[in-house]
Amino acid sequence: MKALDSFNPLAVFVYFMASAGIAMFSMDPVILLLSMLGAVTLFVIRREGRQTGTHLFSLFLFLTLTVINPLFQHNGRTVLFVLNDNPITLEALLYGADAAAMVVSVLYWFRSFSSIITSDKLLYLFGLLSPKPALMISMALRFVPLFRMQAKRTDMAQRALGKYKEDNAIDFIRMKLSVFSIMVSWALENGIITADSMAARGYGTGRRTCFSPYKFRPQDALLLGLSLMLAGAVGAAMALGGLEFAFYPTVSKISPDFLRLAAYIAYALLSFLPATIEIGDALKWQYLRSRI
Amino acid sequence: MKPIRNEKLRRTVRYLVPFVLAPGFVALGITVFHEKRYAFISLCIAVSAVALFATGFDKKRTGSRRLVIVSVLTALSIVGRFIPIFKPVTALTVLTGMYLGAESGFLAGSLTAVLSNFYFGQGPWTPFQMLSWGLLGFLAGILAEPLKRSRVLLFIYGIIAGALYSFIMDVWTVVWYNGDFSIKLYLAALVSAIPYTVSYVVSNVVFLWVFAKPFGEKLTRMHIKYGI
Repeated sequence: MKALDSFNPLAVFVYFMASAGIAMFSMDPVILLLSMLGAVTLFVIRREGRQTGTHLFSLFLFLTLTVINPLFQHNGRTVLFVLNDNPITLEALLYGADAAAMVVSVLYWFRSFSSIITSDKLLYLFGLLSPKPALMISMALRFVPLFRMQAKRTDMAQRALGKYKEDNAIDFIRMKLSVFSIMVSWALENGIITADSMAARGYGTGRRTCFSPYKFRPQDALLLGLSLMLAGAVGAAMALGGLEFAFYPTVSKISPDFLRLAAYIAYALLSFLPATIEIGDALKWQYLRSRI
Repeated sequence: MKPIRNEKLRRTVRYLVPFVLAPGFVALGITVFHEKRYAFISLCIAVSAVALFATGFDKKRTGSRRLVIVSVLTALSIVGRFIPIFKPVTALTVLTGMYLGAESGFLAGSLTAVLSNFYFGQGPWTPFQMLSWGLLGFLAGILAEPLKRSRVLLFIYGIIAGALYSFIMDVWTVVWYNGDFSIKLYLAALVSAIPYTVSYVVSNVVFLWVFAKPFGEKLTRMHIKYGI
């Protein structure tokens, strides 16, 4: 299920900044729980990378980050036990779990973000801002595989010359260093040729534009609009003090007032928006296939 | 979608960031994100600082040759980041700054951070990596003359750069986790990062030691041969 990959990068970028950003800057446990659920759901239904390994790592990180806080922070009323004359409090432990949930859910958001916003889409986003860094990004990205290829060629040529013994470690390192040195000289000279060719073809004579295969379709506008609106609603609730939550000296109770509930609903919608898009797309696909 | 008209936007960003955006972020952080204001403000300031540098580089008339050479060095440090444990990224950024100027150093460092993170993982730390690697390259460009003259100074710079990178990144780690800066957690983070800091320092010194002369020669030759 890769429906989000076909969305306009700008809309996807804004969405992830909104969902991860609110999680990052909020301390409310319900918001963080929603963020965690949304991020993990998205990661699971997109079937990115190594699933079990990632989840195990996240669990380990969550537990570690949870225990770190009470070791350094001794505020709070409810003392669980005393370690080296320092009280370990329930409040500090819960604060640690809160912060850990924030870190782990943001990591999950960014895993999906990285798989959707690939380097070519980043290029498009940079191109909107400023063309010169965008050009440099596209060149640097192109040079990476080129250099790898050229390094392989140089390496083979050096081996064929037979100047270096392969079973001798010092000779091997010397060969690698000389390959690297040749590579750097070649890369710089090649860069000059590229630059001259660009100049010959009129680079810098007019206003630079960036090629973009990404159209802005109605569904992109919808995603962008919904992200901004829902994030704005949560942000407004935060600004009005609706999501204030304290851990010290005692953990505050969540009172179900209007502002808080509205913020929760808005963030729940925001958090599950991409998962809904992916599932909706999969259902549509299944329906279309069933008609064949 | 049409690209935003660049000249105008660039000029706006240059004045907007220091006079409007930076104070605006501080105000927004204090009013909206009560408990997490430090995390919010530091992240926004890091992003806008990188944007400010990018516009400065764009504004100056930089020849396409220098542009391509900086991209070449960026690509080399991206490839170099794949070397396990010992990373030549800072060393290459420092050399770029020294021989191609402070702004090229900043751009090479920050672009390496954002691009190599496509392989190593993007996250809220990306702007901070961009800023800290960029600043290390920028400082090397400002200190270019003494660093070129004395190898001892260059090694000292490498050591300081390795430690500084760790120090800057751990400020973010603590503020992100804790929502507030806590000196105890910061010290704990620094202590737990000692193996990494040592590997940064060692690889900076080793790679500066190995690369400084050949890179210096090659880039000086570029300067003499092509006038970059």
